[in-house]
Amino acid sequence: MPTDTTVVTVRNLSKKFCTQLRTSLWYGLRDIVAEAWPGPTAAPGLRRAEFWSLHDLSFELRRGEALAIIGANGAGKSTLLKLLNGLIKPDAGSIRLRGRVGALIELGAGLDPVLTGRENIFMRAALLGVGRAQVLPLLPAIIEFTGLGAAIEMPVQFYSSGMVARLAYAVAAHLHPDVLLVDEVLAVGDIDFQRKCLNHMMGYLAGGGSLILVSHQPQHIQAICRRGLVLQKGRLTFSGSATEALDYYFAQQLAELTQHAPATAGPALSAARPVAIEELTLTGAGPVIQAGAAVTVTLTYQALLPQDNASWGFYFYTPDGSVCITGSFEAQPRQLAAGRHQLTCFLPRLPLTAGSYLLKALVADLATLQPLAMRGWEDAPLRLRVETPEATLQTNAQRMVQQLTTLQVEWNH
Amino acid sequence: MKETIYTSQSPLHTPRVFLREVRADLGVVYRIGWQLFVRNLKVQVRQSLLGYAWLLLPPLVTGLVWVLLGRSRVLNVAASNVPYPVFVLAGVFLWQGFVEALNCPLQQLSSAKATLAKVRVPHEAFVAAGAAVVVFNSLLRLGVLLGLTLWFGVPLTGTLALAPLGLVALLLLGLGLGWLLALLGLLYADVTQGLPVVLNLWFLLTPVVYSPPAAYAKWFNLNPVTPLLLTTRSWLLAGPMAAAPGFALVAGLSGIFFLLAWLAYRLAQPHLIARL
Repeated sequence: MPTDTTVVTVRNLSKKFCTQLRTSLWYGLRDIVAEAWPGPTAAPGLRRAEFWSLHDLSFELRRGEALAIIGANGAGKSTLLKLLNGLIKPDAGSIRLRGRVGALIELGAGLDPVLTGRENIFMRAALLGVGRAQVLPLLPAIIEFTGLGAAIEMPVQFYSSGMVARLAYAVAAHLHPDVLLVDEVLAVGDIDFQRKCLNHMMGYLAGGGSLILVSHQPQHIQAICRRGLVLQKGRLTFSGSATEALDYYFAQQLAELTQHAPATAGPALSAARPVAIEELTLTGAGPVIQAGAAVTVTLTYQALLPQDNASWGFYFYTPDGSVCITGSFEAQPRQLAAGRHQLTCFLPRLPLTAGSYLLKALVADLATLQPLAMRGWEDAPLRLRVETPEATLQTNAQRMVQQLTTLQVEWNH
Repeated sequence: MKETIYTSQSPLHTPRVFLREVRADLGVVYRIGWQLFVRNLKVQVRQSLLGYAWLLLPPLVTGLVWVLLGRSRVLNVAASNVPYPVFVLAGVFLWQGFVEALNCPLQQLSSAKATLAKVRVPHEAFVAAGAAVVVFNSLLRLGVLLGLTLWFGVPLTGTLALAPLGLVALLLLGLGLGWLLALLGLLYADVTQGLPVVLNLWFLLTPVVYSPPAAYAKWFNLNPVTPLLLTTRSWLLAGPMAAAPGFALVAGLSGIFFLLAWLAYRLAQPHLIARL
């Protein structure tokens, strides 16, 4: 139910697009005529060559809340932002917005290359609906935020893409919209600027602003957003906390990867590929893997010939597969016998907090340190879900700071 | 707190809300349009060596050409009671104003495509900025024309005060057509391709460089530009106060047509953006 604090209410929103240019122009003309001749609303079905860019989407956003929209390219994220910004019209359903909407969809748009940065601040503010007189008192703060220094007096055509991003973000940020739409714009800025933007967004949220963020950077999403939606081919497939949404999204990606990857079971061994990893498992005492519990990593391999000087290791990764959290590699040489065998490693205390992780493993030649077989880099890694038995002060704190691993410590008193 | 609702319904289902939005946007249009106009002037000056001289040069050169033609007496067609060069120049300048107004919406919106597809901004602002340039240029040309009329000894009379009225009607007709062309032209490139051909033909069918032959006057009056242009020119060049037949009708219809075409474009706007 929409309440007083709801700033965005989206109900059964659908938008269709056409795959063929000429047909799309013809449909456009027909739609325009239909606008001017409002008869009974036509059935919102698909015409020839059309597809749903967004279908039957519903969600709400409350004041002070940040929502991440997650999805692969072409999932409908940008369409959604364009609809929210009122650039295009829904084909079915409704959007209800309270307050002024600010959008950072494409940063370069509306900047004139010949004018200086300072002049463009006024130009852009005007495009966002704010007059010169209202911008003037904000000008020093905006210029300060851009961090461009003397370059503010330079024509924008000599700016790098990062500098353009700084300028555009600074203007939009200082106009204090009630809802801010941000579409993958932080990626071009340098680290310093990204940090500045993240800090600004937190402050903006704390001040009662609402934010919808489209980003492919999990760390940005986790830093800012409490809630997340996953879009898949225009449909809402998941709605929950940002971390859960990211987990869901990466699991989906992984499932697709395994579906399309060539079968790794029963690999053809050859002189060029003497060892293959058949299976990788992580098992605990019960059916659920508990944080801090004892677990065993088991790797099943097949070898064509015996290997004298081999070794193996395994690594825990973040669910997007980009960061290795921890792992271990056996630095002692061991013999691998020909045929199908297992290697195991016992972990007395799994050092991970509750959440989703990936496990990758490899078998390597110790003399050359060249991998003989790998699992999880080119093909699908093992997906883990680590749980905690109950929420405690400790686990809540871990969740708040998005802690990944645990340390064994002794506090001094 | 302001509430906005977007649905698939046509805005014409709630005409009051639609018109209120149009009115609310006008303030924004003025603010942005003015800044765009100033920006266009600045950009034009900054990227050229001659700067503001470019504003005056084209009409001055056109004027000079006609003065030289008049002096050499190659063109001594007795078109009316004013010297032929002045007669032609007045016609050409007014026609130019009309054509610029007609081209203005499509031109402005096409060049701002990238912005329009990404930023929510009333499209009227870009057209208004373009229209301001058209008005500005028309006034400059009229200034040049006045200088030449004095040079050729045509007296300045009170009817001159009515000329702006005619000019406004002419520009409104051009802008009205321009809105419709923009609506079609943002979808189909045929419009941009075909427009010069049609305009050339239209120029020849309009009594710009000649007086309409009396025998065909009826046919010429079917062309809406004819009464507007003839009347305004006659007001400019010490002609009679009485307007050409059909002037009031065409001027009135031009105003209404302009408003309708503008609203039609607004209805089409989201569908156009989806295809930019």
